[in-house]
Amino acid sequence: MKLTTIGKLARKEHRHKPGIAEQTGFPSPATHYLEPTIDLHQELITNADATFFVRMESTEYKHLKIHNDAVLIIDRSTPALKGKLALVVIEGDFSVIRISEGNPTFTLWGVITYIINKAV
Amino acid sequence: MIALVDCNSFYASCEQVFRPDLWGKPVVVLSNNDGCVIAANREAKALTQIPMFEPIFKIKNLLKANNVTLFSSNYTLYGELSIRVMNTLRDFSPRVEIYSIDESFIDLDGFINTDLKDYGNKIKETIFRNTGIPTGVGIAPTKVLAKLANKIAKKGPEHDHVFVIDTDIKRIDVLKNTEIKSIWGIGRQHAIKLQNVGIYTAYQFTEMPLPWVRKELTVVGERLWRELRGEACLNMIEIPKPKKGIGTAKSFGHKLESLSLIQEACAYYISEVSEVLRAQKTCAMYLHVFLHTNSFSTSDKQYRNKRTVTLAIPTNNTFTLITEANKILREIYKPGYRYKKVGVNLTGIIPEAYVQGNLFESPKTDQYKELMQLVDSLNSKYGKGKVSSGSTGTRMKQWELVKADRSPRFTTQWAELLTVK
Repeated sequence: MKLTTIGKLARKEHRHKPGIAEQTGFPSPATHYLEPTIDLHQELITNADATFFVRMESTEYKHLKIHNDAVLIIDRSTPALKGKLALVVIEGDFSVIRISEGNPTFTLWGVITYIINKAV
Repeated sequence: MIALVDCNSFYASCEQVFRPDLWGKPVVVLSNNDGCVIAANREAKALTQIPMFEPIFKIKNLLKANNVTLFSSNYTLYGELSIRVMNTLRDFSPRVEIYSIDESFIDLDGFINTDLKDYGNKIKETIFRNTGIPTGVGIAPTKVLAKLANKIAKKGPEHDHVFVIDTDIKRIDVLKNTEIKSIWGIGRQHAIKLQNVGIYTAYQFTEMPLPWVRKELTVVGERLWRELRGEACLNMIEIPKPKKGIGTAKSFGHKLESLSLIQEACAYYISEVSEVLRAQKTCAMYLHVFLHTNSFSTSDKQYRNKRTVTLAIPTNNTFTLITEANKILREIYKPGYRYKKVGVNLTGIIPEAYVQGNLFESPKTDQYKELMQLVDSLNSKYGKGKVSSGSTGTRMKQWELVKADRSPRFTTQWAELLTVK
């Protein structure tokens, strides 16, 4: 197969390489200060192997500040302490509750650790 | 001590994690192309009146009538949950040998003041809590015994899916109650041979003199004999060996007659296997392509053919391999048949660094390598097959596998998340 040379291929790997003015060769003053870009996973996820994302498709949970189309971050390894929000199964259906003594019988699926709502 | 942790009906369990309405109900998972059942959970296996391994079109109505839920296989999901299970295991021992998608050995050497039954329970519970996948744990001094312990753990409800063989009394008791033919590593031929001389249980086998075992069952049998007697011979393998051959072959969703469509499917398979080559930094020396019609069909004319080529220079370049595969296909394809399957195999796998040129050609690495690296990195970032050779075409719908009842890819696609309604 004939392959045409595409000039810019070589630049791909250096995501955090500072821009260098090629004409003069002056290095960027930021050269030694660059860090990886902020990654939401670092802040929102503690146990990746137990974390699942779930989308809310209901307006029923506004009172828990979960709006329609919100993404729930669920960490199944977080203990279901009183007062936590949790995704639970009641009679074969998913539902969201705040854990307290008055809850109906449920099976815990996982504790909700963050709610990503769209700002309105 | 070694633990064998094994997921219960893994594929069906993966599906059930996200479907609480199916908890406690029969679930089966179908093979690629929805041809037959490849996995069934306990509830489905209990329906013994259904011949589970018949082609699906024969038993579909029977399954529906018994309220069995069918899923097309969703390997994206199973692979991801498997990784999560194996990662969780690493919290319990620094040495984990991933044996298959749903089974791992973990080394518990040095856990002297640990109650192993408790530890096994903890492993099982943590995996279930993290991932929703139920497992069984067998713990014993050797791999073969751990495998046996695992089997017992799953069978008796009193064990609650964890069983430890930690004394000679327990070991002998287990071996006396185990048929020789169900031992991991005893093939059918050997089982018959042993039964012919009156050896029916694993215990009887371990009581035979070693020279006899060595003579009759070679060194493989000797290792088993030692392992069953509690002497570890099989080591933990933490780093998987590079594969000797890499191949893929899937039935088309529909029978194909046109060469160009078959070539597109073949090019797609080549892209898949060459990506594996590159991921393990290897090249292949031989390319093997086969093409055949549906041998089960009584109405179709039958034809099958295959060819292997030696590559001028070992390669892992998708484009070179597609060109070679197309050459083969043009030679073996005959018009007028309804083809069912095309397959590719790459063998003679050698490390990338050892590739030599020949008198007439030198390995053209740089340009090609950069292009392939770019393709791989784009695909790992944006999804499988996002960037591929033009030869793979745009008519995938006409040949790809039937996956009529595939569940959403809950853990890898934003558009397919689990929803609460």
